[in-house]
Amino acid sequence: MSVATPRTQKGVLSRVRLTRKERRNLGVGLLFVSPWIVGFLAFLVYPIYYTLRISFTKYSGFGEPAWIGLDNYRALLSDDLFWTSLYNTLYYTALAVPLGAVVAMGLALAMNQPVPEVPIYRAILYLPAILPLFALSFIFLILMDPTKGIFNQILIHLGLPNVNWFGNPKWSKLALVFLAQFGAGQVALIFLAGLKGIPVTLYEAAMLDGAGAWNRFRNITIPMMTPVILYDLILGLSLGLQVFTQAYVITQGGPADSTRFYVMYLYDNAFRYGKMGYASALAWVLFVITFVLAMLIFRWSQRWVHYETT
Amino acid sequence: MGNDALHDLARQLRSRRIDRRQFMQGAAALGVSATAISSALRAHPARAQNAKEVTFWTTHTEPDLSALQMIVDTFNKENTDVQAKLVQVVGDETDTTKLMTAVRGGTGPDVYMLDRFIVAQRAAEGVLQELTNFAGGEDLSEVYVPFAWAEANFQGKPYALPFDTDARALFYNKGMLQEAGVDPAELDPTKPITFDRFTEIATQINQIDQDGNFSRMGFAGYTHQAWHYTYGFAFGGKFFDEASCQVTPDDPGIVAGHQWLYDYTKSLNPQKVNAFAGPYAATETVPEEQDPFITKRLAMAITGDWMLNTLAKFAPDIDYGVTLIPVGKAGDQSATWAGGWSMVMPQGAKNPEGAWKFMQYIAGEQGQRTYVTETKHLPTTNSLLQDASLFEDEHHRFFAEQLLPTAKNRPPLPVGAKYWDELTTAWQKIYLNQEEPAVALKTAKDRVQGDLEAFCPIETS
Repeated sequence: MSVATPRTQKGVLSRVRLTRKERRNLGVGLLFVSPWIVGFLAFLVYPIYYTLRISFTKYSGFGEPAWIGLDNYRALLSDDLFWTSLYNTLYYTALAVPLGAVVAMGLALAMNQPVPEVPIYRAILYLPAILPLFALSFIFLILMDPTKGIFNQILIHLGLPNVNWFGNPKWSKLALVFLAQFGAGQVALIFLAGLKGIPVTLYEAAMLDGAGAWNRFRNITIPMMTPVILYDLILGLSLGLQVFTQAYVITQGGPADSTRFYVMYLYDNAFRYGKMGYASALAWVLFVITFVLAMLIFRWSQRWVHYETT
Repeated sequence: MGNDALHDLARQLRSRRIDRRQFMQGAAALGVSATAISSALRAHPARAQNAKEVTFWTTHTEPDLSALQMIVDTFNKENTDVQAKLVQVVGDETDTTKLMTAVRGGTGPDVYMLDRFIVAQRAAEGVLQELTNFAGGEDLSEVYVPFAWAEANFQGKPYALPFDTDARALFYNKGMLQEAGVDPAELDPTKPITFDRFTEIATQINQIDQDGNFSRMGFAGYTHQAWHYTYGFAFGGKFFDEASCQVTPDDPGIVAGHQWLYDYTKSLNPQKVNAFAGPYAATETVPEEQDPFITKRLAMAITGDWMLNTLAKFAPDIDYGVTLIPVGKAGDQSATWAGGWSMVMPQGAKNPEGAWKFMQYIAGEQGQRTYVTETKHLPTTNSLLQDASLFEDEHHRFFAEQLLPTAKNRPPLPVGAKYWDELTTAWQKIYLNQEEPAVALKTAKDRVQGDLEAFCPIETS
């Protein structure tokens, strides 16, 4: 084993031996991407390192951070709001992400219909996704208002009870899951690209064998789409665990802690309670949770994702 | 020689008499080096022209914003050495993210308008400059009413100048009371009714539509300013015990106040009250056109003096009265509480002397006089509170003379923001009948006390 290392190094070195021209090209190339490299180091790598460092301190954001070792991480475990916010966030993610994939798939299939006016349908279906989440949140505040929102007026006309969606802890998280579906257009576009990539010959062969629409969808579309679905799940997981804007705008974590999501609690600690060190520890724990969940999904995906080998 | 000419050019560039190209041409003609140019420009920085400028940030919106602008304009007219610039920024009472990040980034304002009950917290965090040296030995505690001055201090040192204050009272729509067969005279502003009687009156006014939802309510329980602090103080509660350095949301008075709220919504069905109160429950950011008191769907609301201004603007036709907040049992003293804002100087203020001058003006007699006249808030200087000419409106006088002198205030704690949030969570669980008051309020205590302990002992008065 001890000889393996030098040999690899030698191999690497021989591969990077460049001619003068290549070296110059490399220099010029690096120069061209240097704004990005500098930005990456200054605005991503350094802050990440910095949050790790201050997660071991008691620090308000001003003055000198005081080193307290693992105290922030220990405090997390006995902080009931940490567990509440984690529960709320996992609850939200577990519903919003799979539902989002289903809605996006539905939209993508609709966008893929072979009709002449399909560009118009695509535009209409994609439109809500253009709205910034911030604006969408305000629109929903009005649409789902219990006293004059059109959504509730329809329910009342159908003889259903009038519910204060965002003001009732039983419904507030579900209402936010519902709201999130209006951003499905983004994912639908990716799904649409995936659908376009499925060879038509597969469908033709299946039709010759007498497969109906459902069977073609079940046995060709879904398997061929699994890599894209996996991509969506991983991306959705990461975004879902960071849910913030809707809750910040609409419910401010309420009522009764029902929409106090992880990142909201993190934000409050950092900017309102003056606990920047604790907030950084929260951020790192969220990173670890996201990483572990993503790994689990990857492992699970080996059982259902179909990669074409040709 | 060339150096003088270059400095002259730099001055001309900064005062916009010549543009950058003319400056470079002139400098080239003088034959000076790039180093000399850059040092000449450094000697006349762009800020030199604005050295007298004081940036003043507020999170306030209309109608208060216009009043602030008016004060700034008058200050600028009266002063030549300092010019204030009002900037509206995002944030709210406890959300000062914009301030914190800007101060950290070295781009903070010279003066910031901060909710007074959060001064202790921001001072403890190191965001604010201590003002002792600026005051130069002057005893400002003589100038301001005691509670407001106490809120502006942390651990015995001043960090803010008190600006306005306010108080809460029960507003009632006389017409709606009469329609329901209640004599408005019963809500006499000299003698408070009990919460039991209040429940009866409110229930009498309620109306239900064909779908079983409230179309009109006597009192909605938790809209406007019917906050946790309101109920706690109304039943004689105390929110902080200085001797033991403990937050006390589980104080018997506070629990009793919330018990009333719990029972009240329970008797009416908490979900139906919730559907009436709307998602905007208990915030003052609801657009006036939707405020249930203004739209005459709600007959009684506990809210603050600024409502006088709002009613005059948006509902001049409503015949309303203002009275004392009800009491737990007959004979008790009615209680209200006061809040309000203050002027602070954040760390890194670029023009501290100018900032101090402006702060003294806006938080002093002239600034507060304009603000009180324009917004119907209340002043915090002793002299203005004695000035009867400020309170010609009968209701406004009621706030200044009857309510403010005995008003309570939130304890100025370095955990004020979290305490507020946790009280809010408990209060929501209570009005939704999710948890018994004693349980919910105990949770609030457990969540806040741990954070507080790092600061003990704390002086709040």
